[in-house]
Amino acid sequence: MNRLLRLWRAVAEPTLVRRLMLVQVALVLVMWGGVIAVLVHNGGDSSSYLNAIRSFDAVISVADNLASQPALQQQSLAKIDAALREEFDAANLKELGPLLMVWQGDRLVYHSKGAPPNWRPGRAQGMETLYLGDKRYRALTVYSRTSDTRVMAAGPVGTLNVFMTINSRGYFLLPLVISLPLLPLPAWWSIRLAMRPWRRVAQEVAARGPQDLTPLTFRPPHRELAAMVDSVNALLLRVSQSALRERSFIADAAHELRTPLAAMRVNAEALQGQANGPVQRELLNGILSSGNRAGRLVGQLLQLMRSDATGSEPHAPLALDALLQDRLAALSGLASRNGVELELAATEPVRIMGQRESLVSLVDNLVENAIKYSPPHCVVRVGLAGVAGRAVLTVEDQGPGIAPELRERVFDRFFRDPQQTKSGSGLGLAIAASAAASHGGTIALSDAQGGGLLATVLLPLAVIPAQAGIHT
Amino acid sequence: MKILLIEDDLDLGNGVRIALSEQGMEVVWVRTLDDAARSLARDGCDLVLLDLGLPDGDGLTLLGQLRRNKVPGDSGGLPVLILSARDTLDDRLSGLDGGADDYLVKPFVLAELLSRVRALARRSYGFDGETIEVRGLVLHAPTRRVSVAGRTVELTASEYALLKMLMMRTDRVLTRRVLEEQTLPGSQTNASNTLDVHMANLRRKIGEGYIRTVRGIGYVIDLQAPGGAA
Repeated sequence: MNRLLRLWRAVAEPTLVRRLMLVQVALVLVMWGGVIAVLVHNGGDSSSYLNAIRSFDAVISVADNLASQPALQQQSLAKIDAALREEFDAANLKELGPLLMVWQGDRLVYHSKGAPPNWRPGRAQGMETLYLGDKRYRALTVYSRTSDTRVMAAGPVGTLNVFMTINSRGYFLLPLVISLPLLPLPAWWSIRLAMRPWRRVAQEVAARGPQDLTPLTFRPPHRELAAMVDSVNALLLRVSQSALRERSFIADAAHELRTPLAAMRVNAEALQGQANGPVQRELLNGILSSGNRAGRLVGQLLQLMRSDATGSEPHAPLALDALLQDRLAALSGLASRNGVELELAATEPVRIMGQRESLVSLVDNLVENAIKYSPPHCVVRVGLAGVAGRAVLTVEDQGPGIAPELRERVFDRFFRDPQQTKSGSGLGLAIAASAAASHGGTIALSDAQGGGLLATVLLPLAVIPAQAGIHT
Repeated sequence: MKILLIEDDLDLGNGVRIALSEQGMEVVWVRTLDDAARSLARDGCDLVLLDLGLPDGDGLTLLGQLRRNKVPGDSGGLPVLILSARDTLDDRLSGLDGGADDYLVKPFVLAELLSRVRALARRSYGFDGETIEVRGLVLHAPTRRVSVAGRTVELTASEYALLKMLMMRTDRVLTRRVLEEQTLPGSQTNASNTLDVHMANLRRKIGEGYIRTVRGIGYVIDLQAPGGAA
């Protein structure tokens, strides 16, 4: 059922190729229909036998030449009549055959079988419409130029007759009728062939990453496509320029914020040494912790910007265990200021493909969070191992943890646990998640043994043998 | 100790000047590269705190001149600590490759700045033949003599190298990898175990209370006794 549905969707989905083909087919049909309409319009007057003037001449001359011998005349005319009707008799369509009537003076000298004797010839040479009961006939009367003989041939008007007309007149339509059903295949194929440059452009656009704003490399020479590719390239250029401007604006703003923040911090810290009494110290601590928050937020905004900007940068093989050791050593100052102990359990070399800067922000944010939410004298345990083709990085704290229903939402930018009393930006986990995602990995939060939060990061291991030159 | 602070921001420069002066350091504060070069030529100093984005150029230019002995009054070994708002790995690397001894990103914690300034000062004094001293543990570089509370301690070459690295960078955790690479070259196999053995021996000789283990990460010598560091 699902397959049918998919098939139907594929068929119902509009495509340019099909549109082109439909337009072509519609055009052919309209032209064909037009030709038929013209034929049909003329058809009533132009049944083949009505246009066979020489046949009329033959009838007239037979009637005139044999006027003295009525029996022979009758016989000869009957033969001509039969000749005229031959194809209809052969096709078993007697009722469509022409009715032949011949007058000399006012006397009806011959009439086909079935022709009503009360018909009178037209008052002048030409076409007219006659009725036999309900049946409509078109009749052509021809006057002899040398005698008073008049010949009339009448053909029934009807649907079948139209087809007869088409059949007899439109012999050039037959190939069209035959080829029309066969036309779509070569048409489809030729259109597809003609659309190949288009597909190449589409493929190139589809193949690029979300951060790739470089101009398209394939510029087809065809006017329509070239115009489109040029517009796309112009758009890409505008977008990349505006993205660049935006990024450099935020980066500049963040940088500019850092110096005054540092100044505020240093001044407040210098003042701390001279503070008298607990109240002043508390107020100074308030200033310092606000300064810390602002500083951290600025750093995280820069990280976020970089992770957005460097999503397309190449990944290189690197030793995650060494990186982890370096970062934890760098963060140990923060840990000891918070009275928290750091511990790393990484016994084997773990190599992954990655970007150093992005992985640093991943590790820093997870560990900084763990340190921040740990009560004093607790341990933040960091573990790293290679399991089944994946690097498993764990960060475990002994803090309050995160309620299970919030464990997805805390990865949203600026989302903070409403129960949380510690200050924070709500960006740390979002940065970590984006860094993990850019490495094809995941982060999951769960309960640590004995309370606290356990963050588990899974990253694909590099395919290179893990032994290759990590520890020297 | 005489410190040349090159920082164009008024509030930050003044704050650092006061904070370092409070710690008994002599601080000369200038706000441009020109003034810095003039001050170095005239008075010299023991250590430079260098901001990178300065009104008359990039701090890295001055750093390059210092390292190429282009600044009068300096022999090329002057310790330089960069204070910068630029925090990417590339920025740090270009600073350190340019010859800086350390790199601190703004906004920094004053305690961190002080500890790094002291570590740099110790390092430069150590190389100048001075001694490094932490809570009664004394290391005299020229003679490679180590003593604890006046009592001389005999150390192997590896133990001495480890202790010197830790003492030159007090308050900063040195990773196991760095210690292994720097002090135990050639020990490809079981480097981790070798490091642990050396550390255990070193601790036995100088006594507990100096070297703190950060499990799985590295080792550190705290300038203040554990518990006192806040």
